Amino acid sequence: MLSTLQPPRSLTLLPFRRLHGSKTIASLASSSPTLDASSVSPPQSQILTTRRSLLSGETTASEIAKSYLSRIRLTEPQLKCFLHVSENVLKEAQEIDQRISRGEEVGPLAGVVIGVKDNICTEGMPSTAASRILEHYRPPFDATAVKKIKEMGGIVVGKTNMDEFGMGSTTEASAFQVTANPWDLTRVPGGSSGGTAAAVAAKQCMVSLGSDTGGSVRQPASFCGVVGLKPTYGRVSRFGLMAYASSLDVIGCFGSTVADAGMLLHAVSGYDRFDSTSSKQDVPDFESQFLSMDSFESKPLKGVRVGLIRETLEEGVDSGVRSATQEAASHLEALGCLVTEVSLPSFSLGLPAYYVIASSESSSNLSRYDGVRYGNQVMADELNKLYDCSRGQGFGGEVKMRILMGTYALSAGYYDAYYKRAQQVRTLIRKDFKAALDHNDILISPAAPSAAYKIGEKKDDPLAMYAGDIMTVNVNLAGLPAIVLPCGLVEGGPSGLPVGLQMIGAAFDEETLLKVGHIFEQTLNGSGFVPPTLPNVA
Amino acid sequence: MATRALLAAVSACPRRRIGIKSSTFSSSLQFQRQESRIIARSFSSYTNSSLSLPDISRLAETARISLTPAEIEECEPKIRQVIDWFGQLQQVDVNCVEPAIRAEMEGGNLREDAPQTFENRDSIRASIPSFDETYLKVPKVLNKE
Repeated sequence: MLSTLQPPRSLTLLPFRRLHGSKTIASLASSSPTLDASSVSPPQSQILTTRRSLLSGETTASEIAKSYLSRIRLTEPQLKCFLHVSENVLKEAQEIDQRISRGEEVGPLAGVVIGVKDNICTEGMPSTAASRILEHYRPPFDATAVKKIKEMGGIVVGKTNMDEFGMGSTTEASAFQVTANPWDLTRVPGGSSGGTAAAVAAKQCMVSLGSDTGGSVRQPASFCGVVGLKPTYGRVSRFGLMAYASSLDVIGCFGSTVADAGMLLHAVSGYDRFDSTSSKQDVPDFESQFLSMDSFESKPLKGVRVGLIRETLEEGVDSGVRSATQEAASHLEALGCLVTEVSLPSFSLGLPAYYVIASSESSSNLSRYDGVRYGNQVMADELNKLYDCSRGQGFGGEVKMRILMGTYALSAGYYDAYYKRAQQVRTLIRKDFKAALDHNDILISPAAPSAAYKIGEKKDDPLAMYAGDIMTVNVNLAGLPAIVLPCGLVEGGPSGLPVGLQMIGAAFDEETLLKVGHIFEQTLNGSGFVPPTLPNVA
Repeated sequence: MATRALLAAVSACPRRRIGIKSSTFSSSLQFQRQESRIIARSFSSYTNSSLSLPDISRLAETARISLTPAEIEECEPKIRQVIDWFGQLQQVDVNCVEPAIRAEMEGGNLREDAPQTFENRDSIRASIPSFDETYLKVPKVLNKE
């Protein structure tokens, strides 16, 4: 039986307007007029709403920016999502307003308030990867993804908190602060993009950019009740993303709706000559997936083949998560999908293979942080000691551990046993996914084995923390795209805790994920996924 | 990997409707027991590796990271536990399996081997802790032998 916290899920399609989606930006500031929700016919999207209300003159970029800044001021003491808030937000907003008033064209993200994870370089703004070794570091360039956002008129409101160098699943490994989950301030927001997810959940920004190496966008999306989109490896340029594991890292997108995450992805995708692993595949127009619900047929996903991964519903997965996933599968069936069970025999090997590969590659990638060309330097009388001390004092405990594990796995005599073997396991995992996706359009699973847990609960037990990544790491090993969207609530916290459904697609098939995700989301009956703990939530 | 009971429940259901109901929700304590089972399954499936255990001090020297004795004492059991857990990969049959460096990639993404001057050199210089004209200043290198 379902928890009494979950509203009864009707399997018929009602024209239900989700609470947080139907309100506009203007209603966040109490003094602004609230738009009539029934006049909003396009799909629920903060990006589209912003675009429309700026171009029609209903509001200005400056008003929007001010309301977000004041919301950040109000909520940051409790949440601590941001490591740095930009000093240029109002100036950039004013420039957009001036361009609009002069009748000049503005980009598709004009006025959109965007958070950026702190391991993504933003010129002139501190970018620390939440590490003391890069405290005060200001990059001399923007990451390509940031450059594209700015070219389209987006406003980077600040840099969000994370686990140091992406190593962690709770954001507790940040050298500077621990972010709280907006659904329950005693719980973790997930990681490593915890601050990034929480900021969107708490409406401190509209959308945000994170990074996903083993689930670092998808798991916090699940814990915070927002949409997290991990693109195919190579879809988005990694230039300017501080490398953790180069064969696994991607930049991903957070939004409060699938449409927003998809539109942000569209903005940052594409081949980049500065990233030799970026793909030359065409970027489809992701925006055209997002039809208004009024135009849905009665079985809008008729014929879509969905494979539910058997191994993700076994022992070790919280019963509330399992039932929310079953419910989501039923909902997809009601929309016309053909849902069957699939098996990925290599599934459980993904976790150790991932951690071997990630720690090995990170030991190499983090060797550049030596205190010589940038970052905090600990002076010494001899060069090697300078390296030892700068790194010893600059890196946190988890980072040091992973570097040492990686150093071990790559050393002479051990390389074949660990790293090469993990690469071979990666081939097996890729084959299993390919076989499953030859017979299915998408695969589904929970995003994590549980909802958000308490701060401090897993801090001293690395294997317990790693176990939480079981649902997500295989997707990075296979390089496939995946989206997580909230599908239900489980018991816990003041009003329940969100759980996310993960949908995995074939390589470069973000279109199908966004189409299915959008229709699933728009037809999901319920009260919307808005954290109850924060004041003045629209 | 699943318990027999769970497998039986799944196979008893009609193919399309995965009708597993649950009447309780986990407390965090229950989840801890559950997630320790994920790791326990992994632990039980490998034998002791013939490779020697990591020497943390030696690894720290290789990785150029200084660790205090307290730090070594704290991280050594954790690192050994994780490396031990990695050992289960030894059980996998990888005969004739090609290692995958990364996800499938297109080739031919190389650039011209020609240097280009970066336009914002001042900003790069501003980040250097010790800089003297065109040189980065570092302490001397002592030959250790």
